Amino acid sequence: MANLAAKRPLILEIKGNSLDDGPGIRSVVFFKGCPLACVWCHNPESRNPAAELAFDPPKCVDCGECRKICPDRALSRNHPEYVARSKCRLCFLCTDVCPSGALERVGRTMTAAEVLAEVLPDQPFFDVSGGGITLSGGEPTLYMDFASELLRMARRHGLHALLETCGCFDLPRFMDLLYPHLDAIYYDLKIMESAAHKAFCGLPNERIIDNFKALLTAARRDGKLLLPRTPLVPGITDGEANLRAVAAFLSGLGVNQAALLAYNPLWHEKSRKLGIDDPLKGDPAMSAFGDGARLERGRAIYREMGIDPTG
Amino acid sequence: MRRWTISNTLTHLFLRFFAANFNLRKKLNQYLKSEDGWLDFTFGLRTETGSVEQTLVFESGRVRVRATVPDPPDAMLIFKDEQALKAAAIEPPNQLMIALMQNKMVTRGNIGYLQLINFYLSLLLKPMQIAKLQKEARGERRAYDPEKAAQTAIGGRRLRQLKPAAIDPGVHFLRDPYLSDLGLDDFPRLKEFLGVHLKTKPAICHERPALLTQWFKENGFETDPDGRPHVPVLRQARAFNYLMTHKKPLIRAKDLIAGTTTTQEIGVVLYPDAHGTMIWGELLTAPFRPLNPYDVSPQTVAALHHQIFPFWLKRNFREWVRQNKGYPTCQELDERFAACFLWKTVALSHTILDYPRLLARGTGGIRADIARELAQTPPNMQEKRETLQAMTICLEGIEAYAWNLATEADRLAGVESDAARRTELMQLAQICRRVPASPCATLDEAVNALWIVWIGVHMENTNAGFSLGRLDQWLQPYFKADMERLANESEREVYIRHAVELIGCLYLRCTDHLPLIPDIGNHLFGGSSSDQAITLGGVTPQGEDAVNDMTYIFLKVTEMLGIRDPNVNARYHKEKNSRTYLQRLCEVNVNTLSTPSIHNDERVMASLAEFDYPAEHLRDWSATGCVEPTLSGRHIGHTNCMMFNMVAALEMALNNGRHPLMRWQLGPATGDVAAGAFKEFDSFFDAFGHQLQLLADLTCQYNNYLGEAHQAIRPTPFISALIQGPLDKGRDVTRGGALYNSSGTACIGLADITDALMAIKTLVFDEKKISFAALLEAVNANFADHAALLAMIKTKVPLFGSGDRQALAIANRVTKLAHDIFWQHTNYRGGRYTAGFWSMSNHVAFGTLTGALPSGRLAGKAFTPGLTPEAHASKSILSNLRDVAALDPAHLNNNIAFNVKVVPAAGERHQQTVETIAAYARAYCDLGGMQMQLNVVSSDTLRDAMAHPENYQNLMVRISGYNAYFVTLNRNMQIELIERAQFGVG
Repeated sequence: MANLAAKRPLILEIKGNSLDDGPGIRSVVFFKGCPLACVWCHNPESRNPAAELAFDPPKCVDCGECRKICPDRALSRNHPEYVARSKCRLCFLCTDVCPSGALERVGRTMTAAEVLAEVLPDQPFFDVSGGGITLSGGEPTLYMDFASELLRMARRHGLHALLETCGCFDLPRFMDLLYPHLDAIYYDLKIMESAAHKAFCGLPNERIIDNFKALLTAARRDGKLLLPRTPLVPGITDGEANLRAVAAFLSGLGVNQAALLAYNPLWHEKSRKLGIDDPLKGDPAMSAFGDGARLERGRAIYREMGIDPTG
Repeated sequence: MRRWTISNTLTHLFLRFFAANFNLRKKLNQYLKSEDGWLDFTFGLRTETGSVEQTLVFESGRVRVRATVPDPPDAMLIFKDEQALKAAAIEPPNQLMIALMQNKMVTRGNIGYLQLINFYLSLLLKPMQIAKLQKEARGERRAYDPEKAAQTAIGGRRLRQLKPAAIDPGVHFLRDPYLSDLGLDDFPRLKEFLGVHLKTKPAICHERPALLTQWFKENGFETDPDGRPHVPVLRQARAFNYLMTHKKPLIRAKDLIAGTTTTQEIGVVLYPDAHGTMIWGELLTAPFRPLNPYDVSPQTVAALHHQIFPFWLKRNFREWVRQNKGYPTCQELDERFAACFLWKTVALSHTILDYPRLLARGTGGIRADIARELAQTPPNMQEKRETLQAMTICLEGIEAYAWNLATEADRLAGVESDAARRTELMQLAQICRRVPASPCATLDEAVNALWIVWIGVHMENTNAGFSLGRLDQWLQPYFKADMERLANESEREVYIRHAVELIGCLYLRCTDHLPLIPDIGNHLFGGSSSDQAITLGGVTPQGEDAVNDMTYIFLKVTEMLGIRDPNVNARYHKEKNSRTYLQRLCEVNVNTLSTPSIHNDERVMASLAEFDYPAEHLRDWSATGCVEPTLSGRHIGHTNCMMFNMVAALEMALNNGRHPLMRWQLGPATGDVAAGAFKEFDSFFDAFGHQLQLLADLTCQYNNYLGEAHQAIRPTPFISALIQGPLDKGRDVTRGGALYNSSGTACIGLADITDALMAIKTLVFDEKKISFAALLEAVNANFADHAALLAMIKTKVPLFGSGDRQALAIANRVTKLAHDIFWQHTNYRGGRYTAGFWSMSNHVAFGTLTGALPSGRLAGKAFTPGLTPEAHASKSILSNLRDVAALDPAHLNNNIAFNVKVVPAAGERHQQTVETIAAYARAYCDLGGMQMQLNVVSSDTLRDAMAHPENYQNLMVRISGYNAYFVTLNRNMQIELIERAQFGVG
C-alpha cells in the first residue's frame, strides 16, 4: 500500500454541511482506499482504491442506452445485479450515456486545488460555527503527499482541519506530512485483541496501538485534540470485554474522553449497488440501527472506568 | 343557428326545473326579493362551441328560461365543454369556483350575480351539496372533536430553553432576557384564551356591513338624500363614525384588553364593498366545507341576502372597474386566475400606522393638529378641507367607541362578583375613558389604545395584511416608565409577568377576527389569517441597536403561544445586534417550529436604495403582511398589490404568445419554438422578457384601475389621520396623501423559471443534446413516454440552489428583468412598483394551473415556495443558502421568502440545534442573504399530521411569508410542504 502514498487518490464524495464529523459545520472529503478490510465497513465503496461502477435500480428508467454501448455485454436485465461484474472491465462508457444517474462511476480524480475549490465556498459557515474541513474515507493517510498538500492549502485559508483515521499508517511520514497541519484527529480504536482485529479488520492492531501512543504524546505536547472512537458493531466490537479493554487501555494512558459511535446498517445497501461481497447480509443483528440502550450500556462501562463517553 | 343538442335540451330542462321551483315554492320565491325590491337580472350559460346556450331571466319575482343570451347579460358563464357544464350543475358551490379557477369555464359580467345564482342553486340542492362536502371532509379526516384536539395541542408542547450569554445594551430590566423560567402554565388566562383560539369554529359576523349598509341606505352612496353627489372621503368618514358609534362595545370575559373586532368569539369580517359578496353562494354550505368552515347563523344569511349583498352588487371595486373602464382585458386576465391575482379586489391594506404619534399625542392631539391645519387652509383648497374634516370625523368615531367600551366596562364591573376581576374592569373603564383620545401614560393604556385603533382600522379597511409594525420599539417607553415607578425588585418581577400577560392578551385579541376566505381562497391562499405582521429588533432611526426589554417580551409571548398570527418578523443587523439576540430568534424558531422570520436589516435597506429615502425613515422600516418592507407610519406601499405568476410568461414564450390553460393568444408572437425560431438562448430569454412585460403592463393597469375604484368606493380617512402626509398634502392616502407611495408585487416561480431556462440553455443550446422542438414536444406531453429525457434533465442540469454559477446568473437575470419591468410603471398614487419574490401559497395554486416545464416539473405540480430552490437542487442546505444570499438585493425591493425544512436529530440536543441554525443565519447574513424562515419539522411528522390531524391542531408551518396551521391546509399544499427540501441539523 505504501506505493499509494505519492499517488493521487480518487475522491468518493465531498460532503458539505456535515454536523457529525468534528466541531461546527464541516465539509468532509472522503478518500477512496483503505488498508483495513472491516467486515462491517460502513463505507464499503471506500475500501477499494480503484474506481468502481455502481448501479442503483430505483433510478433506472430502462432506456437501454447503456446496453447498446457496453463493449463487454456486461449489462443485462437477466442478470440479478444488472451488472455482470465478471465481464465488466470498468470502461465506464455506460455512465456517460445513462440519463438518470442509475449507473455511476464511484471515485473522481481530483487535484488538491480542485477539492479545495469545492470546499471553500462554505467557509463562511465554518467561520461562524467553529467548523472546517475533515479528511475521511477510506483512509486519507494512504495518500500522504496529496493529503499533506490539501491540508497545507486549507491551512493557508485559515480552515480548521480534522482527520478521521483508522490509525494504520507510517508514523514518521505522518508526523512529517500531516500532523503539523492538523487541528484535531479522530482516531478509531475498534478491537483491542489483535487476533480478533485481524479476523474482523484484515490486519493486526499493534501498529494502530503504537501509533496512538506516539500521537497522544505529541498531541498533548502541542495542544491538539486526539479523540479515540469506537464503533459499536453488534457482536463484534460492542461486547463488554472489548469495551472494557479499550477503556482500560485509554485510562492507562490517562485519556479521559472518548467517543462511542452507534451502529449504522445502511452499508448493506451500498455494497449491493457496487456488487461487493456482503457475507453479513441478512444477519438480523447487523441490519438494524444501533439502539439507545446499547449505546447507554457502552457509555456506562466507560463512565465506570473514568472515561467521559460523550466525546 | 343553434342546434338543439341533447345537452342543450337537458340544460334547458334543468333550468326550467330551477325556474319552476322558484316560481311556485313560496319559501324559495321570497329569496328573489331584497328589502329594496325584486332582484332583477339575466344570467346566461353557454359552451365555447355554442352547443349549449340558455338564459335565466329574473324579473319581478318570476324566473323564466330563454334559449338565447341577451347582449350583454348581467352575468354569464362560458363553459369549456359540456362535461364542465354538467359538473357545474351538480357540484357544491365551492367546486364550481375551483372549476372556474381551473379555466373549465369563464365568467362574463358581474361576478356578484354568479354568486347569487350559486346561492339559489344551493337553496335548491342544499341536502345533496352538504352530503358531498361532509363526505369529502370525512375522506380527508378533517372531522374530529376540536375541543379535545385543542387540549392535546396545548398539552403536547415542550419548550426547551437556553440561557442568554450576555445582556443587550438596550435591555434595562430583564435579568434573564430569555425569560426562561416563564411558561404558559404561569398564565392561566392566556392558556384559556389559547384553547378558545384553537377550538373555536369561526363565524361570519354581519355587524359591520349591516351598520354601514343601513347608513348608506339612509344617506345615499352616490348622492346624498338631496341628490347632490357625495364627496367620497366625507361619506366614508360619516359612515365610519356611525359604525364606530353604534358598534356593540364588547369586552371578553377575563381579558385585559377591551373591545372586539366582531360580535363573535372569532368573527369573519365582511367587506361587501370589496369581495364580501364572494361568500354569497356558500352561505348555506360554508359550515360544512372541509377546509376552514364557518358558522353562519340563519339571521346572518337573511340579513346578508335580503338587506346587505343586493345593495353592494354593483358597488364594489371589481364592478366599479367593469362599469367605468369598459371591462378591460386586464380585468378579464385577473378573472382567469392563471396569471395573476390582484389583491385590490379585496383590500388596500398592507401598511403600518404612525403609532408612536398616536400613543404620544392621542387622537385628541391629532385632532388638534388637524384643526390647526384646517384653520390655515383657505376655502378654495376644497379637497384638503374635506379630507381634514373627514379625518376628524373618523377620530371622533373611534373616541366614541372607546367611550362606549368604558361604559360597558363599568357595567360589567357593577355585576362582577370576583373582586380581582372587578378591579381589572374598573381599570379598563378608566383606561378607555382616557385613551386613545389622550396621550398614553402606561403600557396598559398604550396596548389598549393600540387595540382600539386596530379595531377601527379593520372596520374601515379589509383585514388582509394590515400590520402592526415595530411594537417593541414603540411600547418600550411605556414599559420603562411603568418599571421606573416601581419601588423594588419584587414589584418589578411581578410587573414583568404582567407585561408578558398583557402582550399575550394582545396576540390573542389579534386572533379574534379572520379574513373572509371563500372556498376558492382555501386553494389560493390556504390557511392564511390576516397576516398582522409585528416587527422586532434591528436598528433605531438613528442607526443604533434597537433590541430592548420589549423585544424579548414579544419573543417570549411568540414562543409560549405558538400561534400563526400575529406574524412575527425579526430584523437582525449583524453589525449592531447581538449574538444573544440572534440565538434567541433561532431558539424561538425551533420552539415554535416556524416563526419568527429573520430579516437581514442591512440588505433589506440596501434593496430600497433606489428610493433615496432619508436614512432615519429607512431605518424605521417594518415588515408588512408577509415579509415586505414598509416605512413605518409614512408609507402606503400596498406591498401585496398582486400575486404575479412569472411562469405564465414562460409558458407563453414557449407557445408563441398563447397561454395553454387559458386557451388564449394573449401575448405577442415572439417566435415559434417548433419552427426553429430561436437560434440562441438569449433570443428565447428575450421572448420570455416580452411576455413578462405584457403581463406586467396588464396587471399594473388593472391595479391602477382598482386604485381608482378605491378612491371612489372606499377612501380611508381614518388611516389617513394616522399616517404622515395627508395632514400636509390634504389628500386621502388612497389619493397619494401618504409621505411615500409605492405598490409591491409578489413575483412567483423564480426557481422554477431559472431551472427551466437552465434546462433549455444546457441541453438545447450549450450541449445540443436535444432540439428545442423535441424538448417542447416532451413538455407538451407532460413527459409521458419521455422518461429518459426527464431523467437526463433531472440529473444533468444544474439548478438554482446547487451552487452553480450559471444558474445563479440566470436567477439574477430573471429578478433584474422583473424588477426593471415593474420599476417602469407608475401607480395611481404616483409611486413606483416594486418586485418581491415570495408567494403566500400561490405557488401551489399557480402550479396547479400550469403545464409541465422544461425543468422536468410535471403539469399541475406546485412551484417552489417564494424563491426557494428546488428540493433536489443540492444535498447541502449551504448551497441553497449561498445561492439565495448571492441574489442582488437591488432587484428584490419587495423582499423575498426563502423557506426550507430543517430537522433536529432525535434526543436532547436543543443547544446544538439552536447553535447550528444560528450559524446558518449568521453566515447567510454575512454572505448577503436578505431573509430566511425555517420550518423546524420533518416530513414524517407532516405525514403523520395528514393522517391524524386531531393530534396536530397547532402544528404551525411557514408557507411562504406567513404561518398557517398545517391541518387547515388543502391537500396540495400539505404535499408541497412534505416535498420541500429537508436538511438535518444536529
